[in-house]
Amino acid sequence: MKWINVTLAAALLAVAGGGVAVADTSDKRIALSNNYAGNSWRQAMLRSWESVTGQAVTDGVVAAADAFTTAENQVTEQAAQIQNLILEGYDAIVLNAASPEGLNGAVKEACDAGITVVSFDGVVTEPCAWRIAVDFKQMGKDEVLYLAEKLPDGGNLLEIRGLAGVFVDDEISAGIHEGVAENPQFNIVGSVHGDWAQDVAQKAVAGILPSLPDIVGVVTQGGDGYGAAQAIKAAGRDMPVIIMGNRHDELTWWKEQKDANGYETMSVSIAPGVSTLAFWVAQMILSGQDVPKDLTVPFLRIDQDNLEENLANTEAGGVANTLYSAEDAASVVAEAKAM
Amino acid sequence: MPAAVKQILERPWIWVYIAAIAVWGATMVFTQGQGGGDLLTAALAFATFSVIVALGQMMVITLGPGNVDLSIPATMTLAGTVATKVMDTQDSMILVGFLLALAVGLGVGLFNYGLIRLLQIPPIIATLSSSFLFQSAAIWYNRGLRIKPPPQLADIATRDVLGLPLLAAAVILLAVIVHVVLHRTTYGRAVTAVGQNTRAAALAGINVDRVRFQTYVFCAVLAAVNGFFFSAFSGGAALNMGQAYLLNSIAVVVIGGTSVAGGFANVPGLWAAAMFLFLVEAMLNTFGLGAGIRLVLTGLIIVGVIIAAGGQKTER
Repeated sequence: MKWINVTLAAALLAVAGGGVAVADTSDKRIALSNNYAGNSWRQAMLRSWESVTGQAVTDGVVAAADAFTTAENQVTEQAAQIQNLILEGYDAIVLNAASPEGLNGAVKEACDAGITVVSFDGVVTEPCAWRIAVDFKQMGKDEVLYLAEKLPDGGNLLEIRGLAGVFVDDEISAGIHEGVAENPQFNIVGSVHGDWAQDVAQKAVAGILPSLPDIVGVVTQGGDGYGAAQAIKAAGRDMPVIIMGNRHDELTWWKEQKDANGYETMSVSIAPGVSTLAFWVAQMILSGQDVPKDLTVPFLRIDQDNLEENLANTEAGGVANTLYSAEDAASVVAEAKAM
Repeated sequence: MPAAVKQILERPWIWVYIAAIAVWGATMVFTQGQGGGDLLTAALAFATFSVIVALGQMMVITLGPGNVDLSIPATMTLAGTVATKVMDTQDSMILVGFLLALAVGLGVGLFNYGLIRLLQIPPIIATLSSSFLFQSAAIWYNRGLRIKPPPQLADIATRDVLGLPLLAAAVILLAVIVHVVLHRTTYGRAVTAVGQNTRAAALAGINVDRVRFQTYVFCAVLAAVNGFFFSAFSGGAALNMGQAYLLNSIAVVVIGGTSVAGGFANVPGLWAAAMFLFLVEAMLNTFGLGAGIRLVLTGLIIVGVIIAAGGQKTER
């Protein structure tokens, strides 16, 4: 009986300890090195960092978590910034990098100085650093999978791409085309570049729409859904299922349509709060846990039933956000280990 | 060749009309005639906004070398932002919003010319730096929030009658008025004269300062009006809504047959050029070409049209 009690207590301790620091990190200092702050996504990213890490410092999980942003979005400037952070003796640097390769020298210096480097969003290729990357290809594919489920009969799709020549645009588009290849009931009949901007997308869609047959769905990359809706409405066509990208104007439009006629779609993008995920991963590494070098950011997906909740949490003109906890980080790490 | 036909072919803008029709025709061949009318309606709707700002930009460019207004996008954004926020989706506030947009345009024009005249800053730098101020003012005023236009205004901005958008009809009328002003009034002739030779114009008794002042204000007011209607058309003002109209306004002016060096303006060409630019993009999208090839072809087609139009001019 006594033995059982002891085992039970140990098991309970293990459960309670899961995801929380193994070794004490209360004297560790973590820095955020950020290359750019000039849009609403980055602003939300920095605010997320502030709120989550501020609480962590108050709770004594870490000693400090300071954010530093370079003014000019320049590789040289950020490299100098990282060198400063090394000299200031931080234990870990969480990094949103201006370039995948350009900062490798500075990152290597940091690693050699015994500093843990966790890059996210803008990841670095230097092997000593951790990477929390976005699987944009899967994001594109998920859009088609959703449509396949919702529209089993298939039909014609219009694809709105992002900014031509940018890596992200190629990846999402590749995922969409892969999804269509696996679901041959769908057929992409037109493709335009909307530059992730509402007005550009509206104009491009208005231009191609007259030449298109009926379309059942619009696959997008975010920021362009509302513009597509405006153009399709102006052309007097039946509203197809337009995949949204978590922007406030897109979610607002969706909510209006949902209330008016039960319109159904889904919305997917990356939450700016991914900076807080990177923070907890850095904290896990500092606490001595085994964390694989390559991790994947979970998407923030909004569906019909949690639209209202997400819309309420999205500030006007911004992007839907979520803050990550230590448990979220632990499950992302566990997922990467399982692969 | 009959003299009348020859005379028409000598107009620098006729080639742009021919090019626009050819591009539309090529699209129709590809789609086997489907959606021809709808495509023209869409082209008219979007060309409207290009023409409004291009009318102002054309007058400024006609003032002579160095004259260009780079603050058009920021002026659009500021006017659209202020107007939609004050109207706050109330139909009863539409007139107030419009008057406010006009006031913003007036203020921007005064400020721009103040920099140019009083501080002796070259127009390119003056309007570029003022555009930062206007853009910041728009951000400060509204933090990037998108407020919907009043329903009646949105309806007016997006409605068409038998395929002709209401706004397009109004702006065609506006273009006719500007054409008459340019060729039949003292002010219009003075703009051209200043552009051809400022010193000669001054010696001939033209008040050069006043003409330039009026022109910069005219351009800013049109940009503000464009911001007002464009935010109504696209479902609200956004911080980057004017971005596409900086190079677009200059391209429409130049492709439309106005001289970049100033002193020669061309109103009929503006509509053709604006339609042409929209139709080229629509055509290449319809053909389903990759982004790289699309950009290359857009460049080549524009160069081709300018050469065709320019070649006619030198024969004279």
